[in-house]
Amino acid sequence: FVPSDPPPPKRPLAYASHNETDEERQFRKVFQQLAGDDMEVSPKELMTILNKIISKHGDLKTDGFSIESCRSMVAVMDSDSTGKLGFEEFNYLWNNIKRWQAIYKKYDADQSGVIGSDELPGAFKAAGFPLNDQLFQLIVRRYSDEMGNMDFDNYIGCLVRLDAMCRAFKTLDKDNNGTIKVDIQEWLQLTMYS
Amino acid sequence: MSGIATKLQKNRARAAGIGTNAQAAKFLNQDYEALKRECLESGRLFQDGMFEANVSALGFKELGPNSSKVRGVEWLRPKQLTSNPTFISGGATRTDICQGALGDCWLLAAIASLTLNQDVFARVVPAGQSFDGDYAGIFHFQFWQFGEWVDVVIDDRLPARKGELLFVHSAEGSEFWSALLEKAYAKLNGCYEALSGGTTTEGFEDFTGGIAEVHELPKAGPNLFKTIQKALSWGSLLGCSIDITSSSDSEAITSQKLVKGHAYSVTGAEEVEYRGDLTKLIRIRNPWGQVEWTGPWSDGSSEWRQISDSDRERLSSKAEDGEFWMSFSDFMRHYSRVEICNLTPDALTDESVNKWALSKFDGNWRNGSTAGGCRNYPNSFWMNPQFLIKLEEQDDDPTDNEAGCSFVVGLIQKNRRKMRKVGEDMNTIGFAIYEVPDEFVGQRNVHLDRNFFVRHASAARSETFINLREVCSRFCLPPGEYLIVPSTFEPNKDGDFCVRVFSEKQAEFQELDDPVESKVAEIEIKEGDIDSRFRNLFKQLAGADSEISAFELQKILNNVIAKRKDIKTDGFSLETCRNMVNLLDKDGTGKLGLLEFKILWTKIELFVDVYSKNDKDQSGTMSSMEMREAVEKAGFSLNNALHQILVARYSEPNLTIDFDNFVACLIRLECMFKAFKVLDKDKNGTVELNMMEWLNVSML
Repeated sequence: FVPSDPPPPKRPLAYASHNETDEERQFRKVFQQLAGDDMEVSPKELMTILNKIISKHGDLKTDGFSIESCRSMVAVMDSDSTGKLGFEEFNYLWNNIKRWQAIYKKYDADQSGVIGSDELPGAFKAAGFPLNDQLFQLIVRRYSDEMGNMDFDNYIGCLVRLDAMCRAFKTLDKDNNGTIKVDIQEWLQLTMYS
Repeated sequence: MSGIATKLQKNRARAAGIGTNAQAAKFLNQDYEALKRECLESGRLFQDGMFEANVSALGFKELGPNSSKVRGVEWLRPKQLTSNPTFISGGATRTDICQGALGDCWLLAAIASLTLNQDVFARVVPAGQSFDGDYAGIFHFQFWQFGEWVDVVIDDRLPARKGELLFVHSAEGSEFWSALLEKAYAKLNGCYEALSGGTTTEGFEDFTGGIAEVHELPKAGPNLFKTIQKALSWGSLLGCSIDITSSSDSEAITSQKLVKGHAYSVTGAEEVEYRGDLTKLIRIRNPWGQVEWTGPWSDGSSEWRQISDSDRERLSSKAEDGEFWMSFSDFMRHYSRVEICNLTPDALTDESVNKWALSKFDGNWRNGSTAGGCRNYPNSFWMNPQFLIKLEEQDDDPTDNEAGCSFVVGLIQKNRRKMRKVGEDMNTIGFAIYEVPDEFVGQRNVHLDRNFFVRHASAARSETFINLREVCSRFCLPPGEYLIVPSTFEPNKDGDFCVRVFSEKQAEFQELDDPVESKVAEIEIKEGDIDSRFRNLFKQLAGADSEISAFELQKILNNVIAKRKDIKTDGFSLETCRNMVNLLDKDGTGKLGLLEFKILWTKIELFVDVYSKNDKDQSGTMSSMEMREAVEKAGFSLNNALHQILVARYSEPNLTIDFDNFVACLIRLECMFKAFKVLDKDKNGTVELNMMEWLNVSML
C-alpha cells in the first residue's frame, strides 16, 4: 500500500491578494512572520503575539492572556474546526483589538487600568454592544475578578466572544425573524467550539 | 468570522437545495440579477470590483505585472473590439473556441466538448445573455466546484493587445461567449494564469458536475471503442491527448501534424465499410481550430474515395477547422490517453439514454480526530469518516461479462486555500472499500472501530494513493452493503473532501456515524450519606461562608492534582472551575455548598478513573485516539463533527489532551447537553432562541 509518485504541481498560485493597499501588504508581511510556514495562527501563537503587544502598554492592567482564553478566541472565530486562524480571520481580530483598546482607555474613567462594573456598560455600548442588565451581570460573573473589575485580557476575551456570538446568531438567523432554531448536533458544535 | 455558525449555515443552505445547478451558490456573494438591475437603473456598464480589470487578474509569473507578455495589454469591452459583437451566433459551436496566448488547451478542449451537448452547455452558460436590449456589461456563468454549483458574475472587459483578444476568441472574432466563459473561470481560480496547465478531466467536471474516468491507451481493454461509442451516445464528454517525454516536447508537432502534450476533444466514433472490411474511425478536434492530422482518413485523403457515398456524405469533413478523422488503430498507436466524463442524471434530459444514479457526501479530515491515514496505520485508520453503500440490483446486460453491480467512486479534495501553492496544498488521497459483515448489516448509527478494521480485509480500493485533486475508480461487486473509507495517505493531514458514487442502478449511500447523545447518569447523593471526614474537609476548604467559589475551587483542584504524578496537567483554569460551579450550583448562589461539592468530587473521581484507564501508554495525557474512546466511556456518544471540534478546542499542539482540558471538555459537554434539554421544552429535538437568550447561554 504505497502512494504513487506525485505529479508536478499543475496549477500554480492563485492569489487572493488583488488590489491590496500598502497597509494590507505590510500587515500580511507581519502575519507571515507571526504565523510561520503554515500561514495559520494557533492559540499559542496568538497568546505570544497578544502578550508581546500588551507588554508595551504599561497603562493597561493585565495578568497576560491565558492559553485558555486564546483557545476560546480562536475557537469562536474558526469556521472549519482546524483549531487555527487564517489571515483574514486574524486581520479581523486585529482591527477589532485596536478599536477596543482605544475604547478601554477612554472608558476607564478613574484611570485605574481596569474596567469597573460601573464603567462596563458604557464601554460595551461604545464597542457596539448595548446589553441588558442580566447579561452584564453574567459577563461580570464570568470575566471579572472577585471585586468586579475586568482587566484588559478578560475585556478583550469577552468582546471577542460577544462579537462572535452575535455574528453567529445573525449568520444562522437567515430569515431575519429574530430567532434561531438549532438541533442538538448544531447546538453542541456551536457551544462546544467556543 | 462567525466561527462554526458559518459552516452550519452552509450545511442548511445545502439541505435547502443551494448549490444545485437550479439554485447555484453565488460566488463571492455577487447576485447577477441584482447587480444587473443596479447597472441598468444607473445607466452604467458593470465594473467588477471583485475581479478588477488590471494586471493582477492576468497572473503572477509569466503573466505577472512585470512580464513582457502583459505589456501593452488593455481591457476592452466587446463593443470596443468590434462594431457588432454577439454573445452566441448560430448556436455555440466548436469553432467559437480558438486558443490564445495561454496554456489552457485542456480547458478549451473541455469547452469544445461542451458545445456538443446543448443541455450541458445551457447549464454552464445561462440563457438570455446578449449585447442588445438590456445589455449592461455584465455576464454570468455556472461552474461545478467540489460538490456544488456556483454562479460567477463578470464584467465584459477583456484583455486585448492591439485590438485583438489576448486569450480565447472565436474564429471570426465577433462572437464572445467563449472569451467571457474563460474570464469567469479565471475569476473562479484567481487569475488567467492559474488556468495554465491542467487536465481536461478537471474542466469536464467543473462544467458538468460529472465524474471523469481516464483510460490509458497502452493498458486499454478490448472494449474501448465500444466504451467510447457508448459514452458519446450517453452524452458523456470525451478528451484525448498524447504524452510528452520531456518538457521541451510540449506542443511539439509530429510529422503527421499531431500535437503532443495538448488536449483534444473526441467528437465522434463510427464504423465504415472500407475495402470490404468494417473499419473503426474516430473523430478528434484540435482546440486551436487548426493543425490537423495528415495521415490516413485525414481531410480529403484517398481513403474517403473508397467508401460508400452515404458514409462519405455522413462523415466527411474538409474544412481546416481543427477537426479530423483517423482510424481507431492509428489513434491507439499515436495517442496516450482518453478521458471520459460521465454526466449526472440531472444533466441528461433525454429520456432514451441510460443514466447513472448519483450520491454524494461532504466530509473532513482533521488532525487528531478524523484524519486517520490509510490502512498502514491501523491505530488511527478507523477514525476516518465512513460511508455506507448498499448495492441491491445487478446491472442489466453486463456487456463485459462482469456479473454484479457497477459503480464508480470519486473522491475529490477541496482546496479552498487559494493563497497557497496548489501543488503543495494537495494531500495524497485514496479510499478503501470493505464488505459489511452480517452482524452490522442494516445498522446505520455506528462508526466501526479499530477491531473491525484489524480483523477484516478490504474488498476493493482506489488504484492508488496520489496527490491529485480527484481519485476515481470503477468497481463491480456482488450485491450487499459496503463501507467506503476515504483517507489521506498519512494520518493527521487536514483536508476537506467530497465523495461521490455513480452507480448503474439506484444504490443507498450514507455516512455512518455514531448518534449524538448523552448517557451520563445523575449522581444521587443525600446529605445524610456524606461521611464526617468529607464534611470536615469541606469545612476547612470552604471557610467562613461554608461555600466554595470558583476561585477557591481552582486552588483546591490544583493542590490535589499536583500530587498525582501519573496525571499531567498545567493546572485548572478559572474558566473550567466556573463551568463546574455553573453545572452543579443548583441554588444559584454562584458557589458550591456541601452537597454540591460532594457531587462534583464524585464526578472528578470518576473522571480520574476514566482518564487513567484510557491512558493506555501511561503517558499521563490522552492522545487524540485515547480521547475519542475516553469521551465515550464517560457517557457521551458523539459524531465526527463533534470529535473534530473537541480536538481543535482542547488539545495541545502535539494533539494530546491533559487532565484539566479533559475535565473542562467533559464538564462543558455535560453542561451543554443539559442546557439543550432544558431549552427543548416540547422535546421535539430542536430549540428556538432569540438573540438575548442565545447570548445568555453562549457567553457562559
